[in-house]
Amino acid sequence: MLDFQHNYITTEVVTNMATLPIKNKIRELRFFAEEMTQQELAELVGVTRQTIMAIEKCKYSPTLEVAFKIAEVFGQSIDEVFQYESS
Amino acid sequence: MAMSFREKSIWISLISTLLIFGDYFLNILFLGGVSEEIAQSAALGLFLRALVLIIIIEIVFQGMLAISNRKEAELGANERDKLFEYKANSLGYIILVIGVFVTLGRVVFLELNPEFFTQSNTFNIPLLTAHILLFSFIFSEVVRFSAQLYYYRSGH
Repeated sequence: MLDFQHNYITTEVVTNMATLPIKNKIRELRFFAEEMTQQELAELVGVTRQTIMAIEKCKYSPTLEVAFKIAEVFGQSIDEVFQYESS
Repeated sequence: MAMSFREKSIWISLISTLLIFGDYFLNILFLGGVSEEIAQSAALGLFLRALVLIIIIEIVFQGMLAISNRKEAELGANERDKLFEYKANSLGYIILVIGVFVTLGRVVFLELNPEFFTQSNTFNIPLLTAHILLFSFIFSEVVRFSAQLYYYRSGH
């Protein structure tokens, strides 16, 4: 079950990768952080839920400061959360 | 997508600007039929009314919005909001600059060709130069608000 959800989430992130070169695993990390909501993550980082949503969908690339904060929330390094994919 | 506090706030500004200054400019157009002196004082009265109205409406509605979204209001603009604001400001600035140059061109042209002065105001609009500038400013504001809303709605 967990494997299925993990694969599903990863696929979802990959599907949304058509927009900006900076990709992320936020959706996956939220799932493994006891299904943390976008609102909860937004409050921890100090941005709005809409901003988290846009980052997650790779429609908006966050500043380094916000990227570091997100990584910190999940206890990961920044490159484990965000990846740059040059075309 | 649910609207953020910032987006709702911009909607309030856009709608109030369109309604209040739309009504103002329509009234100004209808002043074309009266004498210049009366038209000028009426225009000033209308402008003061529009100014007071927009201040009151912005204070009341933005205040109500802030009270009902206290958490987001206290958070302030985050980096994405600021980015949209900068982008929209650039567009609004272009409109404003065009308006300023049109006004300058008109002033210089009439200074050099005073015989065109009466023909330059076909609709007999009082304080025409000031109104071209005011229209440019209001239009630039509308473009600014609309651009911000476009960025929010297009999910950038």
